[in-house]
Amino acid sequence: MEIGVQKQTQEEKQVQPEQFNKLDDSGDKKSTGYCGFLTVEYYTPYFNVTETDVIQRIQATFLPFRPDFLNITKDNPDLWGPIWINATLIFLITAIANLRQIDQEKENQQFDVGYVPQATALLYIIAFGTPAILAIVMKILGVDLSFFQTICLYGYSMSTLLPITILCYFQNELFLWLIIVYGVGNSILFLIFNLKEELDKLQIQKKYIIIGIVVIMQLSLYLFYKLVFFSYVSEGKVEAKVASSDSKIPGN
Amino acid sequence: MTDNQQVPFGSGMFQGQAKFVDYAHMNQQEVQVNTLDEPVTDTLLRDINMILYKLSYVIIPRMKETQGRKLRNWDLWGPLLLSLLLAMTLGINSNQSSDTIFGTIFIIMWGGSAVITVNAKLLGGQVSFFQSVCVLGYCVFPINIAAVLITFFQSYFGFFLRIIIVGVAFLWSTFSSLSFMSSMMNEEKKVISVYPIFLFYMFLSWFCIFI
Repeated sequence: MEIGVQKQTQEEKQVQPEQFNKLDDSGDKKSTGYCGFLTVEYYTPYFNVTETDVIQRIQATFLPFRPDFLNITKDNPDLWGPIWINATLIFLITAIANLRQIDQEKENQQFDVGYVPQATALLYIIAFGTPAILAIVMKILGVDLSFFQTICLYGYSMSTLLPITILCYFQNELFLWLIIVYGVGNSILFLIFNLKEELDKLQIQKKYIIIGIVVIMQLSLYLFYKLVFFSYVSEGKVEAKVASSDSKIPGN
Repeated sequence: MTDNQQVPFGSGMFQGQAKFVDYAHMNQQEVQVNTLDEPVTDTLLRDINMILYKLSYVIIPRMKETQGRKLRNWDLWGPLLLSLLLAMTLGINSNQSSDTIFGTIFIIMWGGSAVITVNAKLLGGQVSFFQSVCVLGYCVFPINIAAVLITFFQSYFGFFLRIIIVGVAFLWSTFSSLSFMSSMMNEEKKVISVYPIFLFYMFLSWFCIFI
């Protein structure tokens, strides 16, 4: 399925008028620009990282006061991080939520698979939808940040949820709220400090619009997280059913 | 067409004998010419043989590249059977609706294989899509064994024994899929190509612990 390679641009310039008479589509990459995002080759430049890069970027998210992240990823935004950090989160949510239930009901171990589609929908919509909205708003307001850089930034900010999910195993309600608050704070600070350089070029009102969007989306993500997945499990089944019935996800 | 002629295709089949030919080692072309007239049992036996032959590669993972070459003839029957078996076994014992579990496992298995293959391609590996889906599907076999053991002998196993069985199955699956996949991956991006495979089998094994 090799639909054209970048190296063919020289040939393309030479055979420009014959473009429509060619039997194969090897040079058509430029002319199918609107559907280019459906090919695999379109996304290959965004996977140009090694494991040391990934680990470095994840470490940068835990230190929000040093805005290294955008400097590191400005030339090389990657999509590996957002996709697989969210996949790991889905696994961790399923694992830890079920581990919690096991401790409560030794006789009646009920394996609730419903977390998997809920978590997948929630995480991937937020991880890719929010940066899409943010990028559109920023383009309208005049900030110069590409779409993929926003996705990269937002996806890596989800890595704050990794240790939080693991720590959600403990049953203490106060402890859970504390780490959720820490997570909200960390990720909001991370996003804002990294966008600060770009945002300072704007007027005050526009800056606050963007900051407001970021804050609202992070707050709602973490609230969903706490209330849907890790609600207080006291009598096991009863509490879990109550929590999933008042979840805010439609159609469930 | 007499027996004396050197016919490259399997002329032994025209004699109508029920001779057991080792189909798995035959060339793909030799087989395809004569399959329209053969009895149904022959077709089924050939496919089952192919599946069992590949499963033997999964059970005894071989690290050398040359010995895995027979697996280049990908087929999707094996992964389909294994995924159905896994989804049914895990769905039998669940208290809630078993169709949710069936659906979830089925989608995770096929969707997961597809996503891992696309990921390996995007990272610059030389993988063919269906070969990789085939390998990942076949390597679920040890997890299948663990699921069947746990489902049908549930009363004999305590929680820790379950974890040990599922852990062994998970390591076995990962190791045998690595022996095929690692040769196709890009050298410097091996860890980030392999991590999704690890996550995939971990996810499937985790279901086995709790059912």
